[in-house]
Amino acid sequence: MRVLVIGHATANQLSDSILNVLGAATKLNTKVDVLIIGKADITEIASLACIAKIIHLSDVSGEQMQSAFLAKSLAQIVKSYTHVLTAADSAGKDLLPRIAGILELSQISEVIGIISPNMFKRPMYAGNVVAEVESFEDIKLLTIRTTSFAKYTETGSGASIEEKSGLVEINPTTSFISQDIIHSDTIDLAHAKIVVTGGRSLGSKENFDDLIHTLALKLGAAVGASRAAVEAGYAPNDCQVGQTGKVVAPTLYLAIGISGAVQHIAGMKDSKTVVAINLDPNAQIFEYSDYGLVADLFDTIPQLINALS
Amino acid sequence: MKILVCAKRVVDPNVKVRVKTDHSDVDIEHSKMSLNPFDENAIEEAVKMKEAGKASEIVAVSIGSLKCEDTLRTALARGCDRAILVEAAENYEPINIAKILKAIYLKEQPNLIMLGKQAIDDDANQVTQMLAGMLDLPQATFASKIEIADNALVIRREIDGGTETIKVNLPAVVSADLYLNEPRFIKLPQLMQAKKKPIEKIAVAELGLELSRRSRLIKVYDGEVKKQCKQLASIDELINVIKAGQEA
Repeated sequence: MRVLVIGHATANQLSDSILNVLGAATKLNTKVDVLIIGKADITEIASLACIAKIIHLSDVSGEQMQSAFLAKSLAQIVKSYTHVLTAADSAGKDLLPRIAGILELSQISEVIGIISPNMFKRPMYAGNVVAEVESFEDIKLLTIRTTSFAKYTETGSGASIEEKSGLVEINPTTSFISQDIIHSDTIDLAHAKIVVTGGRSLGSKENFDDLIHTLALKLGAAVGASRAAVEAGYAPNDCQVGQTGKVVAPTLYLAIGISGAVQHIAGMKDSKTVVAINLDPNAQIFEYSDYGLVADLFDTIPQLINALS
Repeated sequence: MKILVCAKRVVDPNVKVRVKTDHSDVDIEHSKMSLNPFDENAIEEAVKMKEAGKASEIVAVSIGSLKCEDTLRTALARGCDRAILVEAAENYEPINIAKILKAIYLKEQPNLIMLGKQAIDDDANQVTQMLAGMLDLPQATFASKIEIADNALVIRREIDGGTETIKVNLPAVVSADLYLNEPRFIKLPQLMQAKKKPIEKIAVAELGLELSRRSRLIKVYDGEVKKQCKQLASIDELINVIKAGQEA
Protein backbone atom coordinates (compact mmCIF):
# COMPACT_ATOMS: atom_id res chain seq x y z
CA MET A 1 0.00 0.00 0.00
CA ARG A 2 1.34 3.45 -0.94
CA VAL A 3 -0.59 6.50 0.16
CA LEU A 4 -0.34 10.03 -1.22
CA VAL A 5 -1.99 13.13 0.24
CA ILE A 6 -2.30 16.20 -2.00
CA GLY A 7 -2.53 19.69 -0.47
CA HIS A 8 -2.86 23.17 -1.94
CA ALA A 9 -1.13 26.23 -0.56
CA THR A 10 -2.86 29.58 -0.91
CA ALA A 11 -1.25 32.93 -0.12
CA ASN A 12 1.96 31.04 0.71
CA GLN A 13 0.17 29.13 3.41
CA LEU A 14 -0.85 25.54 3.72
CA SER A 15 -4.44 25.15 4.87
CA ASP A 16 -5.03 23.36 8.17
CA SER A 17 -7.43 21.04 6.40
CA ILE A 18 -4.48 18.97 5.20
CA LEU A 19 -4.13 17.80 8.82
CA ASN A 20 -7.67 16.39 8.64
CA VAL A 21 -6.83 14.64 5.38
CA LEU A 22 -3.74 13.18 7.08
CA GLY A 23 -6.06 12.10 9.90
CA ALA A 24 -8.06 10.18 7.30
CA ALA A 25 -4.95 8.83 5.56
CA THR A 26 -3.51 7.38 8.76
CA LYS A 27 -6.61 5.15 9.03
CA LEU A 28 -4.84 3.12 6.33
CA ASN A 29 -2.11 2.30 8.87
CA THR A 30 0.89 3.18 6.80
CA LYS A 31 3.20 6.14 6.37
CA VAL A 32 2.13 8.59 3.71
CA ASP A 33 3.76 10.82 1.13
CA VAL A 34 2.50 14.36 0.81
CA LEU A 35 2.45 16.46 -2.35
CA ILE A 36 2.16 20.19 -1.78
CA ILE A 37 1.16 22.47 -4.63
CA GLY A 38 2.45 26.01 -4.27
CA LYS A 39 4.89 28.03 -2.24
CA ALA A 40 4.50 27.56 1.52
CA ASP A 41 6.48 27.10 4.69
CA ILE A 42 6.53 23.35 5.15
CA THR A 43 8.76 23.01 8.21
CA GLU A 44 5.82 22.36 10.52
CA ILE A 45 4.15 19.73 8.40
CA ALA A 46 7.51 18.08 7.72
CA SER A 47 7.79 17.31 11.43
CA LEU A 48 4.70 15.09 11.48
CA ALA A 49 5.30 11.45 12.34
CA CYS A 50 3.02 9.95 9.70
CA ILE A 51 4.81 11.48 6.71
CA ALA A 52 7.63 9.67 4.92
CA LYS A 53 8.27 12.12 2.11
CA ILE A 54 7.09 15.55 1.03
CA ILE A 55 7.08 16.41 -2.64
CA HIS A 56 6.93 20.20 -2.86
CA LEU A 57 6.00 22.01 -6.07
CA SER A 58 7.31 25.31 -4.75
CA ASP A 59 7.82 27.05 -8.07
CA VAL A 60 4.09 27.45 -8.73
CA SER A 61 1.55 29.74 -7.13
CA GLY A 62 -0.98 27.57 -5.36
CA GLU A 63 -3.93 29.88 -5.81
CA GLN A 64 -3.22 30.71 -9.43
CA MET A 65 -2.46 27.18 -10.44
CA GLN A 66 -5.12 25.67 -12.66
CA SER A 67 -6.06 22.00 -12.55
CA ALA A 68 -5.75 21.95 -16.34
CA PHE A 69 -1.98 22.47 -15.95
CA LEU A 70 -1.44 20.33 -12.89
CA ALA A 71 -3.46 17.24 -13.68
CA LYS A 72 -1.27 15.78 -16.43
CA SER A 73 1.97 15.79 -14.48
CA LEU A 74 0.28 14.82 -11.21
CA ALA A 75 -1.35 11.86 -12.98
CA GLN A 76 2.15 10.49 -13.59
CA ILE A 77 2.99 10.82 -9.87
CA VAL A 78 -0.37 9.38 -8.77
CA LYS A 79 0.25 6.22 -10.81
CA SER A 80 2.80 4.90 -8.32
CA TYR A 81 0.36 4.99 -5.37
CA THR A 82 -2.54 2.80 -4.24
CA HIS A 83 -4.45 5.56 -2.43
CA VAL A 84 -4.57 9.27 -3.22
CA LEU A 85 -6.41 11.58 -0.85
CA THR A 86 -7.17 15.27 -0.98
CA ALA A 87 -9.61 17.58 0.80
CA ALA A 88 -13.10 17.91 -0.70
CA ASP A 89 -12.60 21.69 -0.86
CA SER A 90 -12.97 23.75 -4.02
CA ALA A 91 -9.36 23.09 -5.10
CA GLY A 92 -9.51 19.36 -4.40
CA LYS A 93 -12.87 18.93 -6.09
CA ASP A 94 -11.54 20.71 -9.16
CA LEU A 95 -8.29 18.77 -9.40
CA LEU A 96 -8.73 15.13 -8.40
CA PRO A 97 -11.53 14.17 -10.85
CA ARG A 98 -9.48 15.66 -13.68
CA ILE A 99 -6.60 13.36 -12.74
CA ALA A 100 -9.14 10.52 -12.55
CA GLY A 101 -10.34 11.35 -16.06
CA ILE A 102 -6.80 11.29 -17.46
CA LEU A 103 -6.06 7.92 -15.83
CA GLU A 104 -9.59 6.59 -16.54
CA LEU A 105 -10.08 5.81 -12.88
CA SER A 106 -13.18 6.21 -10.77
CA GLN A 107 -13.19 8.46 -7.71
CA ILE A 108 -15.00 8.32 -4.40
CA SER A 109 -16.15 11.80 -3.36
CA GLU A 110 -16.62 13.31 0.10
CA VAL A 111 -15.40 10.29 2.06
CA ILE A 112 -16.63 10.48 5.67
CA GLY A 113 -15.31 7.12 6.86
CA ILE A 114 -12.57 4.64 5.95
CA ILE A 115 -13.72 1.11 6.80
CA SER A 116 -10.84 -0.74 5.15
CA PRO A 117 -8.32 -0.01 2.38
CA ASN A 118 -11.03 -0.61 -0.22
CA MET A 119 -14.24 0.22 1.66
CA PHE A 120 -15.42 3.75 2.30
CA LYS A 121 -18.40 5.66 3.65
CA ARG A 122 -19.82 8.63 1.80
CA PRO A 123 -22.98 10.73 1.97
CA MET A 124 -25.54 10.85 -0.85
CA TYR A 125 -28.83 12.70 -1.38
CA ALA A 126 -27.66 15.77 0.53
CA GLY A 127 -26.53 13.66 3.46
CA ASN A 128 -29.91 12.02 3.95
CA VAL A 129 -28.33 8.72 3.09
CA VAL A 130 -24.93 7.30 3.94
CA ALA A 131 -23.52 4.73 1.52
CA GLU A 132 -20.82 2.15 2.11
CA VAL A 133 -18.92 1.58 -1.10
CA GLU A 134 -16.32 -0.96 -2.13
CA SER A 135 -13.83 0.23 -4.76
CA PHE A 136 -12.36 -2.25 -7.25
CA GLU A 137 -9.70 0.17 -8.50
CA ASP A 138 -5.96 -0.50 -8.07
CA ILE A 139 -5.57 3.21 -7.37
CA LYS A 140 -8.23 4.64 -5.07
CA LEU A 141 -8.83 8.34 -5.56
CA LEU A 142 -10.63 9.85 -2.59
CA THR A 143 -11.75 13.36 -1.73
CA ILE A 144 -12.08 13.71 2.01
CA ARG A 145 -14.78 15.60 3.90
CA THR A 146 -12.42 17.21 6.38
CA THR A 147 -15.03 17.77 9.11
CA SER A 148 -15.38 13.97 9.47
CA PHE A 149 -11.76 13.34 10.49
CA ALA A 150 -9.70 14.64 13.40
CA LYS A 151 -6.54 16.60 12.66
CA TYR A 152 -3.31 14.60 12.73
CA THR A 153 -0.76 16.36 14.94
CA GLU A 154 1.71 13.74 16.20
CA THR A 155 5.28 14.81 15.59
CA GLY A 156 8.10 12.42 14.76
CA SER A 157 11.49 12.07 13.19
CA GLY A 158 10.76 14.32 10.24
CA ALA A 159 9.93 13.72 6.62
CA SER A 160 12.33 13.86 3.71
CA ILE A 161 11.70 16.77 1.39
CA GLU A 162 11.88 16.67 -2.36
CA GLU A 163 11.64 20.08 -4.00
CA LYS A 164 10.32 19.76 -7.53
CA SER A 165 10.27 22.50 -10.11
CA GLY A 166 9.51 22.71 -13.78
CA LEU A 167 7.04 19.86 -13.42
CA VAL A 168 3.97 21.80 -14.42
CA GLU A 169 3.45 22.65 -18.05
CA ILE A 170 1.47 25.84 -18.48
CA ASN A 171 -0.43 26.16 -21.74
CA PRO A 172 -2.26 29.23 -23.01
CA THR A 173 -5.73 27.66 -23.30
CA THR A 174 -6.49 28.59 -19.70
CA SER A 175 -5.42 31.77 -17.95
CA PHE A 176 -5.85 33.06 -14.43
CA ILE A 177 -7.25 36.58 -14.31
CA SER A 178 -7.99 37.43 -10.70
CA GLN A 179 -9.08 36.19 -7.32
CA ASP A 180 -11.49 37.89 -4.98
CA ILE A 181 -11.38 36.53 -1.46
CA ILE A 182 -14.15 38.12 0.51
CA HIS A 183 -13.56 37.37 4.15
CA SER A 184 -9.83 37.05 4.58
CA ASP A 185 -10.06 39.20 7.73
CA THR A 186 -12.87 37.27 9.43
CA ILE A 187 -13.01 33.73 10.72
CA ASP A 188 -12.98 30.96 8.14
CA LEU A 189 -16.36 29.26 8.15
CA ALA A 190 -15.12 25.79 7.35
CA HIS A 191 -12.75 25.66 10.34
CA ALA A 192 -14.54 27.83 12.91
CA LYS A 193 -15.23 26.51 16.42
CA ILE A 194 -18.42 28.56 16.64
CA VAL A 195 -20.73 29.37 13.76
CA VAL A 196 -23.65 31.83 13.85
CA THR A 197 -26.01 31.30 10.95
CA GLY A 198 -28.90 33.51 9.90
CA GLY A 199 -31.90 32.71 7.74
CA ARG A 200 -34.35 34.63 5.61
CA SER A 201 -36.37 35.75 8.63
CA LEU A 202 -33.70 38.40 9.19
CA GLY A 203 -35.62 40.31 6.53
CA SER A 204 -32.83 42.49 5.14
CA LYS A 205 -29.09 42.72 4.66
CA GLU A 206 -29.00 45.52 7.27
CA ASN A 207 -30.63 43.31 9.88
CA PHE A 208 -28.35 40.45 8.93
CA ASP A 209 -25.29 42.63 9.43
CA ASP A 210 -26.62 44.28 12.61
CA LEU A 211 -27.67 41.08 14.34
CA ILE A 212 -25.82 38.08 12.90
CA HIS A 213 -22.47 39.78 12.27
CA THR A 214 -22.50 41.61 15.61
CA LEU A 215 -23.35 38.46 17.53
CA ALA A 216 -20.68 36.50 15.65
CA LEU A 217 -18.13 39.18 16.52
CA LYS A 218 -19.07 38.98 20.21
CA LEU A 219 -18.70 35.20 20.19
CA GLY A 220 -15.58 35.07 18.03
CA ALA A 221 -17.64 33.07 15.59
CA ALA A 222 -17.80 32.69 11.81
CA VAL A 223 -20.90 33.87 9.96
CA GLY A 224 -23.05 31.43 8.04
CA ALA A 225 -26.25 31.86 6.05
CA SER A 226 -29.03 29.68 4.75
CA ARG A 227 -29.46 29.33 1.02
CA ALA A 228 -32.62 31.45 1.23
CA ALA A 229 -30.72 34.25 3.00
CA VAL A 230 -27.97 34.13 0.36
CA GLU A 231 -30.51 34.17 -2.45
CA ALA A 232 -32.22 37.16 -0.83
CA GLY A 233 -28.87 38.95 -0.93
CA TYR A 234 -28.33 39.18 2.85
CA ALA A 235 -24.99 37.40 2.75
CA PRO A 236 -22.45 36.37 0.08
CA ASN A 237 -22.54 32.93 -1.50
CA ASP A 238 -19.45 31.66 0.25
CA CYS A 239 -21.26 32.01 3.62
CA GLN A 240 -23.83 29.46 2.59
CA VAL A 241 -24.10 26.41 4.84
CA GLY A 242 -25.72 23.38 3.25
CA GLN A 243 -25.56 20.74 0.56
CA THR A 244 -24.95 23.33 -2.12
CA GLY A 245 -22.69 25.43 0.09
CA LYS A 246 -20.26 24.58 2.88
CA VAL A 247 -20.33 21.67 5.27
CA VAL A 248 -19.43 22.73 8.80
CA ALA A 249 -19.04 20.86 12.08
CA PRO A 250 -18.22 23.40 14.82
CA THR A 251 -18.45 22.78 18.55
CA LEU A 252 -21.27 25.33 18.78
CA TYR A 253 -23.75 26.07 16.01
CA LEU A 254 -26.28 28.86 16.48
CA ALA A 255 -29.15 28.69 13.99
CA ILE A 256 -31.05 31.96 14.00
CA GLY A 257 -34.29 32.22 12.05
CA ILE A 258 -33.41 29.05 10.17
CA SER A 259 -36.33 26.82 9.18
CA GLY A 260 -34.19 23.70 8.78
CA ALA A 261 -34.60 22.69 5.13
CA VAL A 262 -33.08 19.30 4.27
CA GLN A 263 -30.37 20.94 2.21
CA HIS A 264 -29.35 23.17 5.14
CA ILE A 265 -29.31 20.28 7.64
CA ALA A 266 -26.89 18.46 5.31
CA GLY A 267 -24.36 21.22 5.91
CA MET A 268 -24.47 21.40 9.73
CA LYS A 269 -25.77 18.17 11.22
CA ASP A 270 -22.34 17.08 12.45
CA SER A 271 -22.02 20.12 14.70
CA LYS A 272 -21.49 19.20 18.35
CA THR A 273 -23.99 21.48 20.09
CA VAL A 274 -26.76 23.05 18.05
CA VAL A 275 -28.81 25.91 19.47
CA ALA A 276 -31.80 27.15 17.46
CA ILE A 277 -33.83 30.31 17.85
CA ASN A 278 -37.03 30.47 15.85
CA LEU A 279 -40.45 32.03 16.26
CA ASP A 280 -42.15 28.97 14.80
CA PRO A 281 -42.29 26.16 17.41
CA ASN A 282 -42.78 23.64 14.59
CA ALA A 283 -39.68 24.70 12.65
CA GLN A 284 -37.80 21.59 11.51
CA ILE A 285 -34.50 22.98 12.80
CA PHE A 286 -35.55 22.07 16.36
CA GLU A 287 -35.47 18.38 15.41
CA TYR A 288 -31.75 18.72 14.78
CA SER A 289 -30.96 20.95 17.75
CA ASP A 290 -29.79 20.23 21.28
CA TYR A 291 -31.39 23.40 22.60
CA GLY A 292 -34.20 25.49 21.22
CA LEU A 293 -35.72 28.83 22.08
CA VAL A 294 -39.08 29.74 20.59
CA ALA A 295 -38.80 33.50 20.42
CA ASP A 296 -38.67 36.50 18.13
CA LEU A 297 -35.09 36.89 17.02
CA PHE A 298 -35.50 40.67 16.84
CA ASP A 299 -36.05 40.68 20.63
CA THR A 300 -33.67 37.89 21.51
CA ILE A 301 -30.53 38.70 19.55
CA PRO A 302 -30.09 42.32 20.78
CA GLN A 303 -30.55 41.07 24.36
CA LEU A 304 -28.03 38.32 23.71
CA ILE A 305 -25.56 40.80 22.25
CA ASN A 306 -26.00 43.03 25.31
CA ALA A 307 -25.52 40.17 27.71
CA LEU A 308 -22.29 39.15 25.98
CA SER A 309 -20.89 42.68 25.96
CA MET B 1 -21.09 28.35 -31.30
CA LYS B 2 -22.58 24.91 -30.75
CA ILE B 3 -23.28 23.91 -27.16
CA LEU B 4 -23.73 20.43 -25.72
CA VAL B 5 -25.60 20.39 -22.40
CA CYS B 6 -26.10 17.45 -20.08
CA ALA B 7 -29.44 16.57 -18.53
CA LYS B 8 -29.50 13.98 -15.74
CA ARG B 9 -32.74 12.47 -14.52
CA VAL B 10 -32.71 12.51 -10.72
CA VAL B 11 -35.12 12.22 -7.82
CA ASP B 12 -36.99 15.49 -7.46
CA PRO B 13 -35.18 17.76 -4.96
CA ASN B 14 -38.33 18.01 -2.82
CA VAL B 15 -38.65 14.26 -2.38
CA LYS B 16 -37.26 12.79 0.79
CA VAL B 17 -35.56 9.57 -0.24
CA ARG B 18 -36.03 6.41 1.79
CA VAL B 19 -33.66 3.56 2.32
CA LYS B 20 -34.94 0.08 1.31
CA THR B 21 -35.69 -2.19 4.26
CA ASP B 22 -32.82 -4.54 3.29
CA HIS B 23 -30.45 -1.51 3.08
CA SER B 24 -29.35 -2.57 -0.42
CA ASP B 25 -30.12 0.83 -1.96
CA VAL B 26 -32.52 3.76 -1.79
CA ASP B 27 -36.12 3.16 -2.76
CA ILE B 28 -36.93 5.59 -5.56
CA GLU B 29 -39.07 3.41 -7.79
CA HIS B 30 -42.22 5.45 -7.24
CA SER B 31 -40.58 8.80 -6.54
CA LYS B 32 -41.21 11.88 -8.60
CA MET B 33 -38.24 12.49 -10.91
CA SER B 34 -36.88 15.76 -12.27
CA LEU B 35 -34.14 17.32 -14.32
CA ASN B 36 -31.11 17.78 -12.06
CA PRO B 37 -31.36 21.38 -10.71
CA PHE B 38 -27.73 22.24 -11.50
CA ASP B 39 -28.26 21.01 -15.06
CA GLU B 40 -31.16 23.47 -15.26
CA ASN B 41 -28.64 26.25 -14.55
CA ALA B 42 -26.33 24.91 -17.28
CA ILE B 43 -29.20 24.76 -19.78
CA GLU B 44 -30.47 28.23 -18.82
CA GLU B 45 -27.04 29.70 -19.49
CA ALA B 46 -26.81 28.00 -22.89
CA VAL B 47 -30.28 29.30 -23.80
CA LYS B 48 -29.29 32.82 -22.74
CA MET B 49 -26.23 32.60 -24.99
CA LYS B 50 -28.45 31.56 -27.87
CA GLU B 51 -30.90 34.38 -27.18
CA ALA B 52 -27.97 36.80 -27.19
CA GLY B 53 -27.01 35.54 -30.64
CA LYS B 54 -23.82 33.92 -29.35
CA ALA B 55 -24.86 30.31 -29.79
CA SER B 56 -26.27 28.68 -32.88
CA GLU B 57 -27.42 25.30 -31.60
CA ILE B 58 -27.97 23.63 -28.22
CA VAL B 59 -27.94 19.85 -28.03
CA ALA B 60 -29.09 18.18 -24.81
CA VAL B 61 -27.84 14.73 -23.88
CA SER B 62 -29.10 12.31 -21.27
CA ILE B 63 -27.88 8.83 -20.38
CA GLY B 64 -30.19 6.17 -18.99
CA SER B 65 -33.47 4.37 -19.57
CA LEU B 66 -36.24 5.46 -21.95
CA LYS B 67 -37.69 7.41 -19.03
CA CYS B 68 -34.95 9.99 -19.61
CA GLU B 69 -37.03 11.08 -22.60
CA ASP B 70 -39.15 13.08 -20.11
CA THR B 71 -36.01 14.76 -18.81
CA LEU B 72 -34.94 15.61 -22.35
CA ARG B 73 -38.41 17.00 -23.17
CA THR B 74 -37.96 19.35 -20.22
CA ALA B 75 -34.56 20.38 -21.57
CA LEU B 76 -36.11 20.95 -25.01
CA ALA B 77 -38.93 23.00 -23.48
CA ARG B 78 -36.26 25.09 -21.75
CA GLY B 79 -34.88 26.01 -25.15
CA CYS B 80 -32.56 23.26 -26.37
CA ASP B 81 -32.89 22.56 -30.10
CA ARG B 82 -32.53 18.80 -30.19
CA ALA B 83 -31.62 15.95 -27.90
CA ILE B 84 -29.69 12.72 -27.74
CA LEU B 85 -30.69 9.88 -25.47
CA VAL B 86 -27.95 7.36 -24.84
CA GLU B 87 -30.00 4.34 -23.87
CA ALA B 88 -28.49 2.34 -21.05
CA ALA B 89 -29.99 -0.07 -18.56
CA GLU B 90 -27.27 0.50 -15.99
CA ASN B 91 -26.80 3.41 -13.63
CA TYR B 92 -23.22 4.26 -14.57
CA GLU B 93 -20.55 5.69 -12.30
CA PRO B 94 -19.22 9.19 -13.18
CA ILE B 95 -16.10 7.86 -14.95
CA ASN B 96 -18.24 5.81 -17.32
CA ILE B 97 -20.65 8.70 -17.85
CA ALA B 98 -17.61 10.81 -18.78
CA LYS B 99 -16.50 8.15 -21.29
CA ILE B 100 -19.96 8.14 -22.89
CA LEU B 101 -20.00 11.95 -23.04
CA LYS B 102 -16.55 11.90 -24.64
CA ALA B 103 -17.95 9.69 -27.41
CA ILE B 104 -20.86 12.11 -27.89
CA TYR B 105 -18.46 15.05 -27.91
CA LEU B 106 -16.39 13.44 -30.65
CA LYS B 107 -19.54 12.78 -32.68
CA GLU B 108 -21.09 16.23 -32.21
CA GLN B 109 -17.94 18.40 -32.05
CA PRO B 110 -19.50 21.20 -29.94
CA ASN B 111 -17.53 24.34 -28.98
CA LEU B 112 -18.75 24.21 -25.42
CA ILE B 113 -19.97 21.49 -23.06
CA MET B 114 -22.02 22.63 -20.08
CA LEU B 115 -23.02 20.51 -17.10
CA GLY B 116 -24.39 21.03 -13.62
CA LYS B 117 -21.61 21.01 -11.00
CA GLN B 118 -23.07 17.92 -9.37
CA ALA B 119 -26.14 15.71 -9.49
CA ILE B 120 -28.31 15.89 -6.41
CA ASP B 121 -28.58 12.11 -6.10
CA ASP B 122 -25.00 10.86 -5.81
CA ASP B 123 -23.51 14.33 -5.12
CA ALA B 124 -20.30 13.15 -6.81
CA ASN B 125 -19.20 16.35 -8.55
CA GLN B 126 -16.85 14.56 -10.96
CA VAL B 127 -18.08 14.32 -14.56
CA THR B 128 -17.12 17.81 -15.78
CA GLN B 129 -13.55 17.50 -14.55
CA MET B 130 -13.18 13.90 -15.77
CA LEU B 131 -14.47 14.76 -19.23
CA ALA B 132 -12.19 17.80 -19.50
CA GLY B 133 -9.22 15.66 -18.41
CA MET B 134 -10.02 12.91 -20.92
CA LEU B 135 -10.41 15.39 -23.76
CA ASP B 136 -7.46 17.53 -22.62
CA LEU B 137 -9.71 20.60 -22.78
CA PRO B 138 -9.81 23.63 -20.45
CA GLN B 139 -12.24 23.32 -17.55
CA ALA B 140 -14.10 25.88 -15.49
CA THR B 141 -15.96 24.35 -12.57
CA PHE B 142 -18.55 26.02 -10.29
CA ALA B 143 -19.19 28.87 -12.73
CA SER B 144 -21.29 31.71 -11.35
CA LYS B 145 -20.82 34.19 -14.21
CA ILE B 146 -19.91 33.67 -17.84
CA GLU B 147 -18.92 36.30 -20.37
CA ILE B 148 -18.25 35.45 -23.97
CA ALA B 149 -14.97 36.77 -25.37
CA ASP B 150 -13.30 36.16 -28.70
CA ASN B 151 -13.38 32.35 -29.06
CA ALA B 152 -13.03 32.16 -25.30
CA LEU B 153 -15.05 32.52 -22.11
CA VAL B 154 -14.27 34.67 -19.10
CA ILE B 155 -15.68 32.78 -16.15
CA ARG B 156 -16.11 33.69 -12.51
CA ARG B 157 -15.84 30.57 -10.37
CA GLU B 158 -17.09 30.06 -6.83
CA ILE B 159 -14.17 28.93 -4.67
CA ASP B 160 -13.60 28.64 -0.92
CA GLY B 161 -13.52 32.10 0.57
CA GLY B 162 -14.69 33.95 -2.53
CA THR B 163 -14.40 33.81 -6.28
CA GLU B 164 -11.79 33.40 -8.99
CA THR B 165 -11.95 34.65 -12.56
CA ILE B 166 -10.29 32.71 -15.34
CA LYS B 167 -10.31 32.76 -19.11
CA VAL B 168 -10.70 29.53 -21.02
CA ASN B 169 -10.30 29.09 -24.76
CA LEU B 170 -12.99 27.18 -26.60
CA PRO B 171 -13.69 24.34 -26.80
CA ALA B 172 -14.06 24.03 -23.05
CA VAL B 173 -15.99 22.11 -20.41
CA VAL B 174 -17.89 24.21 -17.86
CA SER B 175 -19.90 23.26 -14.78
CA ALA B 176 -22.68 25.48 -13.47
CA ASP B 177 -23.04 26.62 -9.89
CA LEU B 178 -26.45 27.44 -8.49
CA TYR B 179 -25.67 31.16 -8.67
CA LEU B 180 -24.99 31.21 -12.38
CA ASN B 181 -28.56 32.26 -13.15
CA GLU B 182 -32.16 31.71 -12.23
CA PRO B 183 -33.77 29.12 -14.51
CA ARG B 184 -37.00 30.43 -16.05
CA PHE B 185 -40.43 28.90 -15.66
CA ILE B 186 -41.51 26.86 -18.62
CA LYS B 187 -44.71 27.97 -20.27
CA LEU B 188 -47.26 25.70 -21.91
CA PRO B 189 -46.46 26.69 -25.53
CA GLN B 190 -42.81 25.76 -24.93
CA LEU B 191 -43.86 22.37 -23.62
CA MET B 192 -45.97 21.86 -26.76
CA GLN B 193 -43.09 22.93 -29.00
CA ALA B 194 -40.73 20.57 -27.20
CA LYS B 195 -42.85 17.62 -28.30
CA LYS B 196 -42.00 18.39 -31.92
CA LYS B 197 -38.26 18.64 -31.40
CA PRO B 198 -36.20 15.57 -32.32
CA ILE B 199 -34.70 13.13 -29.82
CA GLU B 200 -32.09 10.84 -31.34
CA LYS B 201 -31.65 7.50 -29.59
CA ILE B 202 -28.30 5.77 -29.43
CA ALA B 203 -27.87 2.40 -27.69
CA VAL B 204 -24.86 2.60 -25.40
CA ALA B 205 -23.48 -0.64 -26.91
CA GLU B 206 -23.22 1.12 -30.29
CA LEU B 207 -20.55 3.39 -28.84
CA GLY B 208 -18.22 0.41 -28.31
CA LEU B 209 -16.90 1.58 -24.95
CA GLU B 210 -15.40 -0.35 -22.04
CA LEU B 211 -17.76 0.49 -19.18
CA SER B 212 -17.12 -2.11 -16.48
CA ARG B 213 -18.15 -1.35 -12.91
CA ARG B 214 -15.43 0.11 -10.72
CA SER B 215 -17.20 -0.04 -7.39
CA ARG B 216 -20.05 -1.71 -5.59
CA LEU B 217 -22.62 -0.37 -3.18
CA ILE B 218 -22.31 -2.47 -0.04
CA LYS B 219 -25.20 -0.93 1.81
CA VAL B 220 -26.96 2.33 2.51
CA TYR B 221 -28.49 3.65 5.67
CA ASP B 222 -30.34 6.65 6.92
CA GLY B 223 -27.88 9.51 7.37
CA GLU B 224 -30.20 11.60 9.47
CA VAL B 225 -29.49 12.20 13.11
CA LYS B 226 -32.41 13.74 14.89
CA LYS B 227 -31.72 15.16 18.31
CA GLN B 228 -33.72 15.46 21.48
CA CYS B 229 -34.25 19.21 21.62
CA LYS B 230 -34.40 20.77 25.07
CA GLN B 231 -36.69 23.79 24.99
CA LEU B 232 -35.25 26.82 26.76
CA ALA B 233 -37.58 29.01 28.79
CA SER B 234 -35.66 32.27 28.92
CA ILE B 235 -32.84 34.33 27.50
CA ASP B 236 -30.83 33.63 30.65
CA GLU B 237 -31.00 29.92 29.95
CA LEU B 238 -29.98 30.63 26.36
CA ILE B 239 -26.97 32.64 27.50
CA ASN B 240 -25.88 29.84 29.83
CA VAL B 241 -26.11 27.27 27.06
CA ILE B 242 -24.12 29.47 24.69
CA LYS B 243 -21.45 30.18 27.31
CA ALA B 244 -21.14 26.46 28.04
CA GLY B 245 -20.86 25.73 24.30
CA GLN B 246 -18.28 28.48 23.91
CA GLU B 247 -16.06 26.96 26.56
CA ALA B 248 -16.45 23.36 25.36
